[in-house]
Amino acid sequence: MARASTTSDVFNAIAEASRREILDVLMAGEKAVGAIVDDLSMSQPQVSRHLRVLSEVGLVKCRAQGRHRLYSLEPARLRPLHEWLAQYEHMWNERLDRIDDYLQELQSKGEQ
Amino acid sequence: MTPNRHGSARIEFPNELEVLITREFDAPIALVFDVMTKPEHVSKWGATPPDQTTQCSIDLRVGGTYRHVFVTEDGTECSFHGTYLEVEPPVRTVKTWLFDGWPDTEAVETMQLHETNGVTTLTMRLAFRDKAGRDHMTRFDGKQDDFDAIEEILGSLPDPRGASLSS
Repeated sequence: MARASTTSDVFNAIAEASRREILDVLMAGEKAVGAIVDDLSMSQPQVSRHLRVLSEVGLVKCRAQGRHRLYSLEPARLRPLHEWLAQYEHMWNERLDRIDDYLQELQSKGEQ
Repeated sequence: MTPNRHGSARIEFPNELEVLITREFDAPIALVFDVMTKPEHVSKWGATPPDQTTQCSIDLRVGGTYRHVFVTEDGTECSFHGTYLEVEPPVRTVKTWLFDGWPDTEAVETMQLHETNGVTTLTMRLAFRDKAGRDHMTRFDGKQDDFDAIEEILGSLPDPRGASLSS
């Protein structure tokens, strides 16, 4: 799988589960790399590398405060992603819930 | 009592060409397999209301084809079709997946079932042949024209636990 494309596509940037975890952590608010490392079972170099990819596609932004660099979500870039994800999850859940209901219906008939 | 599992599907994107969907059902594996592979069952759940299934044929053998035609509320007809590449009742099927609405898109859909204590886990892996195909399924970018107040944007985020970005 081509790794280079992760930097050019928001979707590819979140295809990696670790990066989605970082985004989840940042949903709570702005954090320094060290705080993200503390929240997740990842090393500092790993977190820094993922943050660089997320910054390059504009999903997170960074500002300096003293010696620290603080990272936060870029909501404008995240909104379409969330809308899409919610829609996609809804579509699949609707379909699978329908199968679930049908399975329960078949089984309750079988028991009668 | 069986738990209500509605809304519990897990959706993951293991790489840029694949979508992985996992869901548990309170039903034995043989029944789940039948419901996923027999036309008399698929025609019952295959279309999203108000769409209606008008044709459902499944030739469940390696090299056999399937076709699911449905009609939308405004009368538009759509169809999915493809060919079975692997058939291993009651645990696995692999088939090609083509949608007439996206003629340039081809995917391979692998369904894997596993039963533990009467609960069957369904795993669907959709692997698109190329990124153009996956982009049909995952198109969300490019419509970022009006971004209002940040509060509104944050407010539009789904329940952070319900639709977590990590799976």
